[in-house]
Amino acid sequence: MIDVLIIGGGAAAMSAAIYTARKKLNTQIVTDEVGGQTALQPEIYNYAGFLDKDGHQLMQNMRTQVSELGVPIVESTGGVKKVSVREEDGKEVFIVTDNAGKTHEAKSIIIASGKKPRTMGVPGEEKFSNKGVTYCATCDAPLFSGKTVVVVGGGNSGLDAAMQLTKYATKVYVFESNEKVKGDQITQDKLAESSMVEIWTNIEVKEVKGEKFVSSIVYKNKTTGEEKELAVEGVFVTIGMLPNSDFLKDICDLNQWGEVMINPKTNATSHVGIFAAGDITDVLEKQTVIAAGEGAKAALQCYKWLQSR
Amino acid sequence: MYTTPTCVYCKMAKQFFQEHNVQYEEVDVARDLKAREEMVKKSEQLGVPVFDIDGKIIIGFDQQELSELLGIT
Repeated sequence: MIDVLIIGGGAAAMSAAIYTARKKLNTQIVTDEVGGQTALQPEIYNYAGFLDKDGHQLMQNMRTQVSELGVPIVESTGGVKKVSVREEDGKEVFIVTDNAGKTHEAKSIIIASGKKPRTMGVPGEEKFSNKGVTYCATCDAPLFSGKTVVVVGGGNSGLDAAMQLTKYATKVYVFESNEKVKGDQITQDKLAESSMVEIWTNIEVKEVKGEKFVSSIVYKNKTTGEEKELAVEGVFVTIGMLPNSDFLKDICDLNQWGEVMINPKTNATSHVGIFAAGDITDVLEKQTVIAAGEGAKAALQCYKWLQSR
Repeated sequence: MYTTPTCVYCKMAKQFFQEHNVQYEEVDVARDLKAREEMVKKSEQLGVPVFDIDGKIIIGFDQQELSELLGIT
């Protein structure tokens, strides 16, 4: 039987796998894909010792390390659907069912399933997904050359998306629902220099419209109460992330945001034998370097727990 | 294979093809506007990568579906 099953494919998961494999634990990774949010970052300047900048390259390096240690990675699973428990010789065995229908059994689990982009939940958003509505500026910005686009969300990801889009689009609007944008001043200053960027605050998105592809966005100006329509061909949604924790509701404690609550010293969850690391947890800072460190912590504690089991 | 230079899933797909010795032709739709129109027409959407394997259109890097179509085990 597998000693430790790691759920996820980002920095926390890869780092955990490196540590458990080096402890000679029989390790397996189950994930929809390897890379996580880090792989989508075109430029990383704050991961000590990593000079390539390309987030995808950083994750490829981690993958190579994991593969060289002989850890199998089960991919294209559509994520994990369920974690359940059975008893064998008075000890718990975890059964992980993925969305491809396969089950995996293990003595312990490290959850590192990360986060996914939050959606706006307005009419037209789903219908026009990949038809003008997108959640990844890095991936899709070049497809909007010569077009008018709107970035929904004025946090750091939103302003970064707007920065990337200035290279391609002819006009970039940023819609922020609060009175002020929250993104870093340094990016705000850069955007202010560009005549093609307009930042609108106190804006609530009501609907995305179009025929085959997006042609406009309906919004409400919360200051005046007016509802208006703006012609755009691209809608870049950057309004935060949600934890991939739906499959954990019945097995361990989650906080009000759906993050897995962990003991910050041991990375143990409320369920004995299940550990968690990275952005899926209630760790305060969501950073690649921190996720990697948390993955290592979880792995070492998991090893100790298995030894004492 | 329709790609953009910044698309991560395109990079993943290229690596996957290289690992399995699959030959492919890459078209950069960020530069080639005609190819972009062609891709949008074929796939009826705006995301990359898009694969045209003997007329069968696959949207996104779906490793499982690509493996099945290309006979990769």
